[in-house]
Amino acid sequence: MDNIRATLRQIWEATDDLAFDVGETEIRWEDAVVYSQDTRSESIAWTLYKDGVRSLTFKPGIEDVEIVRFLGVLQQAKNLQADAPDDLLTLLWAQDFQFISYTFRELASENAVPIEAGATIPTTPPTQVRRFVEEEAPPKREGLVSIDDFDTTLYFLEDKEIAYLKKDVEREYAQDLRRNVLAMLFDLLELQTYGTVRAELISIVENFIPYLLGAADFRSVAFILRDTRVILQRARELIPEHRQTLESLPARLSQREALSQLIQSLDEATVHPTEEELSELFQELRADALPTLMGWLPRLNNERVRELVHGAAARLAQANAAEVLKALASEDTAAQLEMVKLAGRLKLPGAPDGMAPLLESNDRTLKLAVVDALTAIASPSAMRLLEQAIDDADRDVRIAAVRFLASRGYRNAAPRVESVVTGSKLKNADLTEKMIFFEAFGSLVGARGIATLEKMLAAKGLLGRKEDPETRACAAMALGKVRTPEARAVLERAAQDKEPLVRNAVSRALREVGG
Amino acid sequence: MSGGGPPRQASIAETIQTTDGFLRHAGREFLVVLYTAFRSLKLYPIENAQVQKALDDLTATTKHLLDVEKEVELRLQGEFLFVNATRLRLDLDNYASFSHILGVLRQCGIGAVRIDEGVDRKQLQIFVSLLLSYAAKEASPNKVFELGQKLSDGGVSFISVEPPLETEEDVEEEERQKEAAKRTYARSVAVTKEVINSIRMGRTANVKKVKRAVQAIVDQVLNNEASLVGLTTLRDYDEYTFTHSVNVCIFSVALGRKLGLTKLQLYDLGMAALFHDVGKSRVPLEVLNKQGGLTDEEWRIMQAHPWLGVLTLFGLRGYGEIPYRGMIVAYEHHMKVDLTGYPKSLRGRDLSIYSKIVAVADGFDAATTRRVYQTVPIQPDQVLKEMWENPRRGYDPVIVKAFINLIGIYPVGTCVILDTYEVAIVHSANPDVSHVHRPVVRIVASPEGALHHPGFLADLAQRDAQGNFPRTIVKVTDPVKYGINVSDYFV
Repeated sequence: MDNIRATLRQIWEATDDLAFDVGETEIRWEDAVVYSQDTRSESIAWTLYKDGVRSLTFKPGIEDVEIVRFLGVLQQAKNLQADAPDDLLTLLWAQDFQFISYTFRELASENAVPIEAGATIPTTPPTQVRRFVEEEAPPKREGLVSIDDFDTTLYFLEDKEIAYLKKDVEREYAQDLRRNVLAMLFDLLELQTYGTVRAELISIVENFIPYLLGAADFRSVAFILRDTRVILQRARELIPEHRQTLESLPARLSQREALSQLIQSLDEATVHPTEEELSELFQELRADALPTLMGWLPRLNNERVRELVHGAAARLAQANAAEVLKALASEDTAAQLEMVKLAGRLKLPGAPDGMAPLLESNDRTLKLAVVDALTAIASPSAMRLLEQAIDDADRDVRIAAVRFLASRGYRNAAPRVESVVTGSKLKNADLTEKMIFFEAFGSLVGARGIATLEKMLAAKGLLGRKEDPETRACAAMALGKVRTPEARAVLERAAQDKEPLVRNAVSRALREVGG
Repeated sequence: MSGGGPPRQASIAETIQTTDGFLRHAGREFLVVLYTAFRSLKLYPIENAQVQKALDDLTATTKHLLDVEKEVELRLQGEFLFVNATRLRLDLDNYASFSHILGVLRQCGIGAVRIDEGVDRKQLQIFVSLLLSYAAKEASPNKVFELGQKLSDGGVSFISVEPPLETEEDVEEEERQKEAAKRTYARSVAVTKEVINSIRMGRTANVKKVKRAVQAIVDQVLNNEASLVGLTTLRDYDEYTFTHSVNVCIFSVALGRKLGLTKLQLYDLGMAALFHDVGKSRVPLEVLNKQGGLTDEEWRIMQAHPWLGVLTLFGLRGYGEIPYRGMIVAYEHHMKVDLTGYPKSLRGRDLSIYSKIVAVADGFDAATTRRVYQTVPIQPDQVLKEMWENPRRGYDPVIVKAFINLIGIYPVGTCVILDTYEVAIVHSANPDVSHVHRPVVRIVASPEGALHHPGFLADLAQRDAQGNFPRTIVKVTDPVKYGINVSDYFV
């Protein structure tokens, strides 16, 4: 572009304008060929010629801005299909160039009837004309428009009228045209009771939705969904078929494919609609949109869209327990995970019903999330599931579950904890896990477990060997959780144990028992 | 005194660069400051601060223009003002000032004002003062020469005035414009016919051709409005539906221009206007062309055409983008400003200004045209009177006012009797709106009753040497009575 500009500036030093003749394959300047290209698809001359341009004049000033726009129009025209609603001439006209002028041949207008003057020049005899005029003049007041009838100052627009018109023009271009047209369609849908008319209107509305979504006009889509509800309530003589189609509109938008398209386009868009626009639309989503929303949540890059989807999902999840269960049963583990997290955050009481199968999963992250969610929900059904998790294959799942159950004093879990503590399951467990299970044992089993714990802490086995120091330390900690005088007495007896690990644990347990 | 006032604000010309035409902007600014100076001097004595400021502004703007252009020629041509051959476009902010200046220059008999480098504040002050006094003087063919002499006597050497030129070239140009207008009109009717018939047959409409037709109408209205508006008087040129659509398009674009719409806005308006009755393509022809009264059911079908237009435009194949604005105008053009009329509106809406413009153009053309169910057209002035005076018609009064402003109290094509006993046809509205009742007419019958073709033009606002109007309209009459086919005089 810089080269073109520099060249044009040089040219303006020699001439006031540049006038070209346009031929099919070449462009001439003062009868000299300055451009030639025989291959039509690549020819600028042909692009100009085929739509009728026959000459082109550039004037100084074109190099500033218009040359770029001109080349843009040429490129656009070159790519137009034959049945496009524009051609080079309509595009050039719309640019309203100041430094480019052109002449063109009109499109074939063989149907245009030439306008000719009437064949008969008036032949009314002068005497008759004169008589008629005399009859009519001097004027009769009747039917006469005189200065008296019209105050001529009336026809000057006043300042306030100019302001009114100006405002009207501004409003014309500021208005939401689509919304305006939609309001018309819904007025018609409501008022026109003819079945065929309604069918056509409904079809227009249905076909309009993807177009609006494509244009990112979410507010208008929300308007359609909202006013569809109004029509369903107010329209008279709505036949069942039309009612059904209208009722299905919001559901169709909530369907997986349609909603996925919407979220994908939102996430990929460079220009985003306002939060208000989007939330209007998301308000209209139906419950069955929930699994799709959950599936998209982990994949969204745009933070705003993510928040929005999250908000919509939360709204739907709180109101639709059944859809929550469906989302939890999704085949998409990412969607399951998001649903579990959301259920936990929202403390949805019905959600644990759908979480049991997830605890059977091999996906450790998912199972941990389920436990987290269950601990947040903490409903009876959540507690029952956590109880099951005590036996989970994953250490962290077991720990999280048992720690929470113990903290809540959930005694129903006592037998299962007791079985772990007294059985062999902790044999290979690390100290942390052992400690948590023993403490849970102390909390949940209470005084009934003192004998078991004392035996572990102090008694010698058949071969005169005591339990290993870790187990004995854990038993001491568990006794600390029992907090009875009997438990204290057992701990005091072990206070001078030879094993430092045990001695420390006893000491800590005594501090916890107090008194 | 020059430069004594507060610093001059950045002018439009300073801020808007050549991309949008320096002359168009600087010229407009010049006209506005000239008008302000003229008006201030008319109201206040020369010492008044407002007058002084107005003269400062005029001096600064003139010099700014001269810095770039070296000389400035302000020329009147028809109803347009040109600055150095660039036609100034009107908009809502300045059209009254332009009309006033145009009127003042006409009253002084001036066809062109030339200002050269070297002009100063004092010379401009003398020029404006002389304009003021000569505009108030009685008409005289020598007025412009007297004014020129006065300028010279006052030492104004860098401003000169010239009488209007009616050169052979002007006449040729007028003829060329007339021919171009005829081509544009004929082509527009043909394209409209083609599109409406395509829609009737369910074929793809060639929207490209429609766009070209509307663009040509906009160009024609911007270049020479009168010749195209005159063609709206054509009767029986083609089927009413097609000519009516084109007429409404022409009137709407011309009115839009009067209201200061931009070229691209005029195009939007023109497209919407051309398609305003597209819904009639779905009205059965036997109802559309029925002679005599319509039954209630037939009226109901006819009254459906606005909303049928919306459905038609939705189904219009070949339209790249959805023509929302066209739909709105098609839907609203029979709605009254209080939203009564038809179709009924349940959801609140503000009528589009384009609908209001098209409604006025539609109402006017329909009433003045002979149709199957209106064999006797109403005289144009009566139609305007009814539109203006009868609020139950539901037109926007400001738009009607602007429409009268556009076509005059006696619209183009009105057949009138003058107090000279001549018969005339209104050729164009007077560009000076204060002479809205004194249009330019074509005299087609002499006082003796001899009919002429093509006759000759007379500006009814022109005064004679005594300051009287030699010709005044006394009666609107029916051209048929005199065997006159009005459109022949525009063709």
